[in-house]
Amino acid sequence: MSSLSLPIETERLILRTFERGDLEALNTYLSLPSARRYAVSRARDKREVAEALNVMRSHVSLQRPGDTLTLAMVRKGDKQLIGHVSLHWSDATAGQGEVRFVINPNYSGQGFVCEALGALFDLAFDHFRIHRVFARCDGRNHHSIKLMQGMGMRLEAHYREHALFQGEWDEELHFALLDREWNRPSKVRELPQRHRVA
Amino acid sequence: MHPDYPLETARLLLRPFTRGDVDAVFDYRRREDVARYLFDVPLSREECALAVQQRIGQVALEADDDKIILGVELAGEGALIGEVSLILRNRDARQGEIGWIFHPDYQGHGYATEAAVALLDLAFTNGEMHRVMARCDARNLASAKLMERLGMRREAHFREHALFKGEWDEEFIYAILETEWPEKRLAFFAS
Repeated sequence: MSSLSLPIETERLILRTFERGDLEALNTYLSLPSARRYAVSRARDKREVAEALNVMRSHVSLQRPGDTLTLAMVRKGDKQLIGHVSLHWSDATAGQGEVRFVINPNYSGQGFVCEALGALFDLAFDHFRIHRVFARCDGRNHHSIKLMQGMGMRLEAHYREHALFQGEWDEELHFALLDREWNRPSKVRELPQRHRVA
Repeated sequence: MHPDYPLETARLLLRPFTRGDVDAVFDYRRREDVARYLFDVPLSREECALAVQQRIGQVALEADDDKIILGVELAGEGALIGEVSLILRNRDARQGEIGWIFHPDYQGHGYATEAAVALLDLAFTNGEMHRVMARCDARNLASAKLMERLGMRREAHFREHALFKGEWDEEFIYAILETEWPEKRLAFFAS
């Protein structure tokens, strides 16, 4: 596999790995209760956000199953960190990857997550040769549901009361997308055939 | 949970395995058509003997992933026609999973459904479970239909989420809640 080329530039965003100086901006959204459920961390205060940042700074590539790549979403122009997306290599033999995302609510509703996920899916399928990407969300999280449907993902599971989360019955959705189903945006790239991750 | 055995239904006895069951188990677990949608390949007689040995002790649920596995006998005749399982998946969230394997010679009589009803009764009464799930290969229509007859809801249809015996797997997960079972149970017996 050729080496991963970062940062990635999309129309309005720079996707790059996390840096020490991201703590303030990360803290403004990662410690919010809304961000915790399916975020990469469950940080509740600035100290825990700092710990999460340390972990996320090590998420720079997928070398082996269990690895995670986490990319900060930085707005072009003002260089504002507005959220992040991650890809977790959950299964090597079956080529499975889990995607997560979280955005500062002040910047939601403008398509930034879609833009970042589009680039992340390209990376997952074309660079890491992942076969299937899935994402989970709470059954009441209508923003996430719309977003994943908008990405062309299929609702594959709707679990009701299958677990307890903070003392209440949980409702969880799984969305998924296969490599061959991913509509590459805009240009069709001529990629050299690489060795499969799986 | 340690139920009193056997569990009785109209036509069946569900009871713990005994040493004498090895030949009867081998008679269906040796078969390619039985193993097709199981994680196991067809078993040898020795493997069946080991499985039966293990099952003799699988009669109670205490901790996560404990299993109750029972032989299913035709009442009056004594023939072992298959097996059913109830697994405690998560004690805190009161989650269980049911499953069944039947001898093809005895399929088509509703025995598996009858046994599954008894398992759901056990799960939701003695077992005080909140939700019981079951899974099957998406090509296993007989199993999927059984779950639908029980009033279970299809909660998942995973496509190519794993490899199964060298091919892409497609899997259904069905589930039913304790609050739903009494009504579904009535509907089942009314039909």
